[in-house]
Amino acid sequence: MYRSKSTAARGGNRSSGILNALHATSIVDPRANLPAALLNVEILVAILDYLPVADQIRFARASWRFQEMVYDDTRWVARLKAMGCWNELEARQRFEDMARKRKEAALRAKAGAPGEAKTNGTRQASSTLFDVAEEEEESKKRAASGLQDGFQTMTIGTTSAPVRNASDDPSKYLDVFKNVKSIRGGARQEYGKIYGALAPFYYDLITAQTHADPIVFEAFRDPESQAQMLANLKRFAKSDWAEASLDRDEKIQHMMSIFESAVLREFEQGYEFWDVDGRMRRYANVLHILDGSRSGIELFIHKHPIFEDKTLMVSPVNCMSRENPDEISLEPSQQFLDLILAKLNDQTPILERIFPQPSIAFWALADKIRDDIIMEYTTPLFDEAHERSIAAYLKAVSGVFEQTLQFFQSLQLPNDSELDLKEKAKELALSVFEPHLDLYLQEELDFFTKQAESEVDAWDKKLSEQDSSLESFYMANFNRSADKKDFLSSFKKVVMMPVTVLPNFANNSSSSKPTAVTANGSSVGTPQPSRPQTPGFGGLDGKTGLPEDAPKDELAAKAALMATKLEGIKSLFSIEVALNLVHSAKTSLGRAAVFIQLGGQVGEEAREQCANIFVVLLRILGQGHVKGGFQRAVESLSHYNPREASSHEKQGVAPLVMFIELVNVGDLISQMVDVFYEQQLAAPKIADKNDFLDPAGLAKKKFEQMLDENVAAGLNKGIDALMDEVEYLQATMQLPTDYNPGYDASESSTGILGSGAPNPFASAAAPAPQAAPGSFNIGPTPTAQRIVELVSSHTKMLTGTTEKSMLDVFNAEVGLRLFTAICKHLKRQRISIDGAVPLIADMTIYFEYVRSLRNPDILPYFRALRELSQIYLIDPSHAKDMATVIADGDRFSGVFRAEEVYEYAQRRADWYQVRRSVERAMYGLECSVM
Amino acid sequence: MAESKPAQKIWIRSNDDKTFEIDRDVGERSVLIKNLLEDVGDSDLSEENAIPIQNVNETVLRKVIEWCEHHRNDPPASQDEESDARKKTTEIEEWDQKFMQVDQEMLFEIILAANYLDIKALLDVGCKTVANMIKGKSPEEIRKTFNITNDFSPEEEEQIRRENEWAEDR
Repeated sequence: MYRSKSTAARGGNRSSGILNALHATSIVDPRANLPAALLNVEILVAILDYLPVADQIRFARASWRFQEMVYDDTRWVARLKAMGCWNELEARQRFEDMARKRKEAALRAKAGAPGEAKTNGTRQASSTLFDVAEEEEESKKRAASGLQDGFQTMTIGTTSAPVRNASDDPSKYLDVFKNVKSIRGGARQEYGKIYGALAPFYYDLITAQTHADPIVFEAFRDPESQAQMLANLKRFAKSDWAEASLDRDEKIQHMMSIFESAVLREFEQGYEFWDVDGRMRRYANVLHILDGSRSGIELFIHKHPIFEDKTLMVSPVNCMSRENPDEISLEPSQQFLDLILAKLNDQTPILERIFPQPSIAFWALADKIRDDIIMEYTTPLFDEAHERSIAAYLKAVSGVFEQTLQFFQSLQLPNDSELDLKEKAKELALSVFEPHLDLYLQEELDFFTKQAESEVDAWDKKLSEQDSSLESFYMANFNRSADKKDFLSSFKKVVMMPVTVLPNFANNSSSSKPTAVTANGSSVGTPQPSRPQTPGFGGLDGKTGLPEDAPKDELAAKAALMATKLEGIKSLFSIEVALNLVHSAKTSLGRAAVFIQLGGQVGEEAREQCANIFVVLLRILGQGHVKGGFQRAVESLSHYNPREASSHEKQGVAPLVMFIELVNVGDLISQMVDVFYEQQLAAPKIADKNDFLDPAGLAKKKFEQMLDENVAAGLNKGIDALMDEVEYLQATMQLPTDYNPGYDASESSTGILGSGAPNPFASAAAPAPQAAPGSFNIGPTPTAQRIVELVSSHTKMLTGTTEKSMLDVFNAEVGLRLFTAICKHLKRQRISIDGAVPLIADMTIYFEYVRSLRNPDILPYFRALRELSQIYLIDPSHAKDMATVIADGDRFSGVFRAEEVYEYAQRRADWYQVRRSVERAMYGLECSVM
Repeated sequence: MAESKPAQKIWIRSNDDKTFEIDRDVGERSVLIKNLLEDVGDSDLSEENAIPIQNVNETVLRKVIEWCEHHRNDPPASQDEESDARKKTTEIEEWDQKFMQVDQEMLFEIILAANYLDIKALLDVGCKTVANMIKGKSPEEIRKTFNITNDFSPEEEEQIRRENEWAEDR
């Protein structure tokens, strides 16, 4: 295709078929006189690559075939690309436009003169693809002059009269790269333009002996043009890869550096006279043209007075407090940074005046200041602080980091800066702190762990010292939920508070404070029935708010109040300790969290460390503190024996009350942890709530689980203890006369079997002098009242402290156990018809109590019990009816079987009188049924 | 084989049936032979079963082997510097210059053989030598040197000259 076309083209020219054919064979046939090696395209290309451009062109003039090779567009595109002035996109665009135009042209040509179009078409095909539309217009002209290619000759003086007269149109040379177009098929022409403009200077420069020789410096007098030309030549040199091009490149570089140093000298002189708008500006511009003004910026920064400024030679030791090694004052460092900031921002307008691209100079200056001034300041500061005390070190790192970030963010940028200041500020701050960060994060975690452990240890120690005085006063029955809510709300307020690392940072954010507080208030106002329900928070955005002492003090006061109220469980675990732990965790977290905003790997590390702090907090709080307390409490519960208890006057089983208090406090701590998690971890995205593998979330779940397990274990023991107490009360308090008013103690020993049962009238008539005055009161016996009081006080205590489901289970269990206890108790009693009245009353208050538990599972038991108590009321004469009642399973909704009811019926004081008729009625009934 | 020594031998045969015994590493300067040897088991190598080099005659092959022996210890050229290679065009070293002082026909034969045998360094040297022959010559001189017929009409010649005026002289 390729070959036939070219021959066809030539054929068109010569109109000689035989010759044409001969040529075709001569090219294809390797035995022809042309050396075979020159026929191989690859080899030919390789040879061409070693030729300088001028030789290539001459080579092209040797024969058609060579011309085709040399003119190949890709060769020239590669050179343009090497100079960075080939735009593939533009080229494609052009090509497509051209294709469209050609199509149109072809259509037009078809309609018009087919013959002419044909010759044109073949000719164009023989040349490279070129801008056909333009060619079309010029084709006639060119045809006349015999021109075949669309190349516009450049009118350049040849070397004999070199470009000394460049002043007539210097822009032709200076802007040569700007005018380059990316045209497919036109690359050679475009390259030709550049070559024509620059090659004479280029080769002249190469051969020049001294820097005074090159014509470049003669042709262009002003430094700007000279710089532009040198830059052009340097760019041009990139397209030169013929032999010894490296030497030529070196030569150019050498010449440029001579020129550059001359310009720099001028710049420096301008600098010394502070001739900002004159020489500095001019030569900075020259340098910019030459190579992006890097050297000028370097010089400027190198000589910049800010690095000799005595006022910036501040000793970082000022930040240290002499009295207290743990304290560190961040005010001097803030002043220091403010000073630099002012000075640096002063430079911005100057830089704008001097440099054509001030932002590059500005960032270079900022980098240098960061390296030489800020880091010189921070590194010794941190080292010193680290030596003195870890606490001071941690505070210093975090605080100074925030200051530094602030510093970089308040830089005043030159007007051409496109960088995002925030991102850049982070980057700069990161580079300042990178060397310290690993150590810091590790220290932060270690410090917190140590602190928390020592806190717990100290408390344990204190506890063991006063272990003997375990007997303490229990505060029962205070208004727990209200107190807890109160306490939690204060706690939340404090947690919302930002860490007070920067007490002097009194800027911008004080306005957000009140909103945060009110948001708190409102969210706290809603009751929080049980733990799993996460309290809703508002006002999370008050993060940067000003620290305010009030809520903190308020919290301290509340904590103290709470602590006194919870005196009783002091020996087990302390809310104060928990609070302290949470507090120090929060401080550590707050300090470490400022690094998260750096993002990237460092930010991720900081985030992980924050999560670790939380995990450690939970571990120490949970395993170290709470769990131990629970275990002790459970142990003391399991050892409870009501008979040994010193006093039953108080309302409740002492260890159980204590335990329930414990559950309360545990719940409080858990809620605290939850609030803490929400505020400090979930809200700032340290922990991902939706990620179930998140270590912080896992730790929290584990903690809650641990708490629940302990509560469950404790409650189990607690029920045992409670029932022991119930049974003890039944055994000790219930008088035999309670349910059998006519009962005579002396009789009972003998007369249970005998005719001891006095007639009801007698017992009714003689209300037994020793019988309690309440025996005829229609109402529950004191025993039942005590029991209900006892049990209900305990169940009430638990309300709102633990999970609802667990509470239900607990209540159900309590109910069932109570039921069993009552049944057992009932079987030990003897009940007369008169006694049935208080019994029914008793059963009714039990029932009422159970109903208040709102547990439908245990309600039927007590309802059955109430029903059951009625069999004692039946008059002996209605024994038959009694039998019906006994046999009536439905009445007791399946709780009691007939045999059981029968057993209870035996507890009637007059059982032996009615037994026969009842049995007859029962069995008779049965018989009849059978 | 009885002859197999530490320096492994291979045999190659020119297209006019002349067998050469060469050291394996010399042969492996040619990528073509190297790849071939990788495909063929060592046991198949023998004098009788020499590797045929189809396109190269005895004289040229001898010349090529001479070059390979001289350059047997050259470091292998790195492949990835394709783009940089252009910049790195250096002078032909002295030995190679002398080596290439042959008549033109021979020079082209060597280049073709180097191309066929895929010996890049030799090919480069050959091309550079040819390039040096072209350098600085007028089109007419080039034609003369390589015995090329001028297939341009005078008008065409003039046109090409004009359109490339920018590259004239220095």
